[in-house]
Amino acid sequence: MLADEVVDCHVLVIGSGGAGVRAAIEASQYGDVVLISKIIVGKGGCTTMAEGGFNAVLREQDSCGIHYEDTLKGGSFLNDPELANILTKEAPLRMGDLVKWGAIFDFTDNDEIAQRPFGGQRFPRTCYAGDRTGHEMMMTLIDRLRYLTETQHKKGLTLLQEYTVIDLLTENGRVIGAMALDEKGRLIAITADATILATGGGTKVYDISTNSSSGTGDGYAIGYRAGAELIDMEMVQFHPTGAVYPYDARGRLITEAVRGEGGVLKNINGERFMQKYDPDRMELSTRDVVARAIATEILEGRGTPNGGVYLDVTHLSREQIETRLPMMLEQYLAFGVDIRTTPMEVAPTAHHIMGGLRITPECRTTLPGLFACGEVSGGVHGANRLGGNALAETQVFGRRAGAAAGKEPVRKKKIDDTQVQRQRDRLDRFRNGSKNPARIRSMLQQAMWDGAGIFRDATGLNTALAAAHVLADKPIRAETHRNLAECCTIENMCLTASLICRSALIREESRGAHVRKDIRQTWDAEHSPFGHTFISKTRQGIEQKGDAP
Amino acid sequence: MKEFTVRIRRFDPEKDKESHLETYTVKVNDGARVLNVLHAIHDTLDPTLSYRYSCASGQCGSCAVLVNGEPVLACMEEATDTMTVEPLNLPVKKDLITDLVPRLAGMAHLMPKDKPVVPAKEDIDAIKPLRDCIECLACVSVCPAMSVTSFLGPTAMRQELRLALDPRDNGDRISEAVRDGLFTCTSCQACWKVCPKDIEIPGKAIEKLRSFANKRGFSFPRHQEVAALVKATGRSVPRTAESFLEQVPDVIEPDGPVRATVGFFSGCMYNLRQQQSALDAMEVLRRNGIRVIVPKDQVCCGSPLIRTGQLDYVDELMKKNIDVFRSRGIDTVLTMCAGCGSTLKNDYPNDKPFTVIDINELLTKYGIEPPAKLGITATYHDPCHLLRGQGVSDQPRNLIRQVVDLVEMPAICCGSGGGVRSGNPEEAAALGKKRGDEIKKTGAEVVITSCPFCEFHIAGHTDKPVKHVVSVLLDGYREKDKKEGKK
Repeated sequence: MLADEVVDCHVLVIGSGGAGVRAAIEASQYGDVVLISKIIVGKGGCTTMAEGGFNAVLREQDSCGIHYEDTLKGGSFLNDPELANILTKEAPLRMGDLVKWGAIFDFTDNDEIAQRPFGGQRFPRTCYAGDRTGHEMMMTLIDRLRYLTETQHKKGLTLLQEYTVIDLLTENGRVIGAMALDEKGRLIAITADATILATGGGTKVYDISTNSSSGTGDGYAIGYRAGAELIDMEMVQFHPTGAVYPYDARGRLITEAVRGEGGVLKNINGERFMQKYDPDRMELSTRDVVARAIATEILEGRGTPNGGVYLDVTHLSREQIETRLPMMLEQYLAFGVDIRTTPMEVAPTAHHIMGGLRITPECRTTLPGLFACGEVSGGVHGANRLGGNALAETQVFGRRAGAAAGKEPVRKKKIDDTQVQRQRDRLDRFRNGSKNPARIRSMLQQAMWDGAGIFRDATGLNTALAAAHVLADKPIRAETHRNLAECCTIENMCLTASLICRSALIREESRGAHVRKDIRQTWDAEHSPFGHTFISKTRQGIEQKGDAP
Repeated sequence: MKEFTVRIRRFDPEKDKESHLETYTVKVNDGARVLNVLHAIHDTLDPTLSYRYSCASGQCGSCAVLVNGEPVLACMEEATDTMTVEPLNLPVKKDLITDLVPRLAGMAHLMPKDKPVVPAKEDIDAIKPLRDCIECLACVSVCPAMSVTSFLGPTAMRQELRLALDPRDNGDRISEAVRDGLFTCTSCQACWKVCPKDIEIPGKAIEKLRSFANKRGFSFPRHQEVAALVKATGRSVPRTAESFLEQVPDVIEPDGPVRATVGFFSGCMYNLRQQQSALDAMEVLRRNGIRVIVPKDQVCCGSPLIRTGQLDYVDELMKKNIDVFRSRGIDTVLTMCAGCGSTLKNDYPNDKPFTVIDINELLTKYGIEPPAKLGITATYHDPCHLLRGQGVSDQPRNLIRQVVDLVEMPAICCGSGGGVRSGNPEEAAALGKKRGDEIKKTGAEVVITSCPFCEFHIAGHTDKPVKHVVSVLLDGYREKDKKEGKK
């Protein structure tokens, strides 16, 4: 055997954020599960960093239909309607699971789960745990995982922590597991009857990003290399409010809850500039609109000396700030700013990739045996995601992926030695490489920020794409076997960046988060002739309305 | 950009027998965090440096390291020139990466009830403060009890209480907590002080669990004996000789002009076991113009009961003591026992009619007559309830430096607090022995502290004399008088 170690299981879950852990919990009802993760389970991914909330229809005055309409409108009608429908219908159920498993969401005086307003929604339906909602969810999911690990010995739930999946294993076009490196650089093969990609997003390909260390687009790259089709990869959400200083903290997420709680945006002249861009919804417009407004203010010279705009909560009561936004208060205090008395300075930051692997309602990708859920999948959010819909998505589609994968029949699987050998050759190339991978990474991030940011045109996108291609070909070096995983990750970043640029070139319209300055269009989002962009190893293009996918 | 020279502890299990410190000089941006320095080293100088991080915004708890010996989150702590970065005191996998997984896997989880229960807002509000934990294990890294017993640790206890308060949970958290070492915590509060989320585990979790355990009949017989004694006599220590309060007048006038008037709270130990230290304090105060009122009807502050979860009688003690000082119109209450001081300051109601001041604070505030130098070296043991309970650290040092040459040692619990000396004598002895070893390393001739429990306990683990700060000051005055030919 060419791998250093082989593990077999019924369902392999790759990724340990909200979607991955939820999928593992569900799949463990059907057979033995291996949950594999680049970082310690519960600490990795972006779920634990998610601050603002979880959208779920819980009140009589609200309805799933309104949530669905808000989601489609917010997504510029590019959402897969069925997936959006499922999201809004099942979010309350999944919220119920979390509460059943011990989650401590904020409650109202009537002993109901509290909800707050978020951008682009006609009803305050964002459930929260202060401004550490994702952390609360993750702690609850990990707690549940520990419970199942201890009580479900028979079926088995194995955690492979700090293992990096580097590619999928296939057998006659069917995904039968994955290959991974452990922290020492040993090559492990894991075979599975069904494999779930729950690797999260990839906005770490940008210089300024809210993502955790794992937001490097591994799932997009791994899926693409195995032959899966991805949709709408050009749809990158720039969160309107990221930190601007100190330099090393640039891009750190300032939760939408700050605006949900009443925070206002002002330019250097003290003007509440959202009046010009969306007078009805003001600061609680959708993220694409607010991000463009802030970027425009800064580009046109009305930004602060640090290159941001002001986000001000000083008019709120100290108590409201301390109880509803404790994390923001703590983080800013650590950087010497008391947000109770001083406005924050913010600017857009790359946050979320709406596109991803094309999935069915059962989270099946275009490859047999491969499922996807959470940010790595595409279609739920269309061209712009509503704040609070991502946490809901992790739970709704995590459960669906886990159930569908769990129900896959048990099969005989045979590892193809040539695929393992190909990985060995790839790793040897890194061992014999010469270029500093960290340097390649920062060049890529800068090229993407410059060429594939909020405002785009074909020239800039082509420049960024060329850079991604050139950088992908550089012979990066793994100093020791412990650095091999890092090299694989940088390859994944280059590939993800190129998928974003290629898709952005294909979509010759402005829609949601994707703005093409070089294209004039006569339609609004609702009347666009276009559907999803799609991209795989064998084809790429854009769906016309009315086409069968 | 600026240039920092830092030291990093390196260890590669595949190559090294022992860890070593390596020095790096890197360029970093203004406002750089410790994590950014590690990135800079890894990206520009040495790609073999291993460290763990994920969210880089203080929310995932994967990057905790020691900076200059103190646990911090690398992503939140501002980097400084010449800093030393080391792994947490946990098994090291490589360089700054420690093995967190076994500790995390040992955390208790919710056991669902057969019929689902929905919590009420008051349940949520009670649990919320315990929920901020990001499981970074900084607390585990500094817990003295864990170093000598099988205690599962501070955050594990936090989790037990979080579950005990949850109506959805079906587990028996109190029995579990007792089994996992609830009564081994010395209440040193090191865990709270290093917690990046400022969770007050000893006061808000461990003592609360202990009070539940008390209701369930888990209190140790030795702790119950103390509680019975307090109830019967108002004191946590039996009377074996003439007490301090019996030896002094109601008011002790100073030698010179009155610079301040305080009411003195003696505490049980100084009243009944180490009377001489308290008498020494009166001498020092008299010499420095402090008028001391000594109410004789004061009782135990309640600390031995609060720390061990025996809360039944505590309100009565508090009320009694508050009345004693209020009725005499005393606006400043002086303590010289670290435990009493911390209890009066932190456990007594905020609206008490007086402020509480520790004797080191008082003498620093008013300044002291310079004593003579004794020409000896001494080390100072920080009492947990003074250092962490009251934030008093520099004052005793500046006082004793006027008398002795001070040699520092690390501030670690001696093992006597939290009812551990009476309830878990073996643990207390093990921690006392570690203190003894540290004292030996300093080469000091005298050990100085500011707490009767530390004084008494450490004396059993060192061959050097152990003295209260005031006794050393008095030695300095006596030496001064001798030199000046006074009696």
